[in-house]
Amino acid sequence: MLSRISYTFREMWASLRRNLTLTVAAIVTASVSLLLFGLTLLIQRGFDNQLSQWSGGVELIVYMKNDASELQIREVREALESTPNVVDASKLQYLDLDASFAEAQRLFAGDPGTLQLLTPENMPTQFKVVPTDEASTELLDQLSVGFRGLPGVHSVVFPGKEIDVLTTLRGFIGVRLLLITAFLLVSAILLIWNTIRTAMFARRREIEVMKLVGATNWFIRLPFMLEGLLQGLIGGVLASGAMLWFNQNWTSGVKTFPSESGFGAFVVTDGFPLWIVFWIVLLGMLVGAIGSGTAASRFLDV
Amino acid sequence: MIKLENVTKSYSAEVTALQDASFDVAKAEFVFLVGPSGSGKSTLLRLMNRQEKPEKGEVWVAGRNINEMPDAKVPHLRRNIGNIFQDYKLLSNKTVFENVAFALEVIGRPKHVIRQQVPAVLDLVGLAGKQERFPHQLSGGEQQRVSIARAFVNRPLILLADEPTGNLDPATGEGIMRLLDRINKTGTTVVMATHDQRIVNMMRKRVIQLDRGIIVRDQTRGVYE
Repeated sequence: MLSRISYTFREMWASLRRNLTLTVAAIVTASVSLLLFGLTLLIQRGFDNQLSQWSGGVELIVYMKNDASELQIREVREALESTPNVVDASKLQYLDLDASFAEAQRLFAGDPGTLQLLTPENMPTQFKVVPTDEASTELLDQLSVGFRGLPGVHSVVFPGKEIDVLTTLRGFIGVRLLLITAFLLVSAILLIWNTIRTAMFARRREIEVMKLVGATNWFIRLPFMLEGLLQGLIGGVLASGAMLWFNQNWTSGVKTFPSESGFGAFVVTDGFPLWIVFWIVLLGMLVGAIGSGTAASRFLDV
Repeated sequence: MIKLENVTKSYSAEVTALQDASFDVAKAEFVFLVGPSGSGKSTLLRLMNRQEKPEKGEVWVAGRNINEMPDAKVPHLRRNIGNIFQDYKLLSNKTVFENVAFALEVIGRPKHVIRQQVPAVLDLVGLAGKQERFPHQLSGGEQQRVSIARAFVNRPLILLADEPTGNLDPATGEGIMRLLDRINKTGTTVVMATHDQRIVNMMRKRVIQLDRGIIVRDQTRGVYE
């Protein structure tokens, strides 16, 4: 058993070294495609964070003063619910202090200056308003103006078309980047496939002898399959490193933006990048396994 | 040990390599397959280690119908069959020792077995002291001895030899034949395809003669004709 394992790994290394140029090409292609995949996920997550305040069809937010009384809050709720042609009462949401504070942590993740100033003592609470289907922009605009003067209301935010722009942009970038990623992943698979085929061709005499003396197909295949798997794995690790470095640069870049830029939430600071690393490495190994597995099965007949 | 029953093999509609061939080879027998090029000698050998499958008929090796054997079992069949070729099929980047050890290594034999068996078989074929040479540093006869050592190191039941003396001068060829004869005397069945008339006449073993895929003669203690 031990001699089989040592044989397999020895042959894998020897083959990797022999085929260095092709191996490097395969790894680079794999890592570029995986990096693009990771960045796509990262950008999508950035959009999600930026839009998280507005998820679920929310188009208007009424911020209540931190010291608004129970009564004032109830009155605003009732006022919102009494406009059934504009406000979808069933989707009306009130975020209390804790929920608003938690959301702010996400929203201002890229803006530590603002984040520092926010405490549960000065946080506004908020009503998230989902308009009905028939509510027009003008009606919502009127509503937002009307609510500004109510007692206990801190401010009303109605960004209108900005949300649509961001949502469209998110879809536009996402779909196209994923498409390019898919093309690159296919070429990575083909390159790994070709590398393995070349490696097997270079060793066809050995493979012929192995088959004649009774080596099993798996024994012959395994070093080649591991070689491809390793190429995918290395590609995944390189892509992960580049992705994390990218994310760190972007995050520290966003922190230097002025607070009013509106991009404060366009960062990913939670554990999400580690999830991306997991997926990139997994996908890399999958790419390697597909490329080398098909080649090793196909070219075993000598 | 080997039994063929009405075996027919063709490579295309026009080319019939073997037609309705039947014969038995007993354990420890030595058989020459003779006939001109393209008469079906190599095809017969390839049928015996399942490199080919016949269209019709059955091939039995060591009591098993090898045509019905699942692909996954074929490697285990081949561990009982040694193969020797006209062009030796040695690996040029490996030493004599490594070439022979390779055959044991790839079927998962442990290192201590390899260290013990390889020198023993190299001694048997008369190559003791040349373990560290590379194939290109050896004469043709010595290379064929390495190839025989590789085929025999796992002590197979059967040796299949395809023109093993085809590239060698007569004296060297005779040396190889003496070695094969010695291996045969240890109880290994040997089937050898050849058109080396002199050797067949010298050895006086069983001769199966083929002509365009048909067995035209099967004679014990035969000659080439």
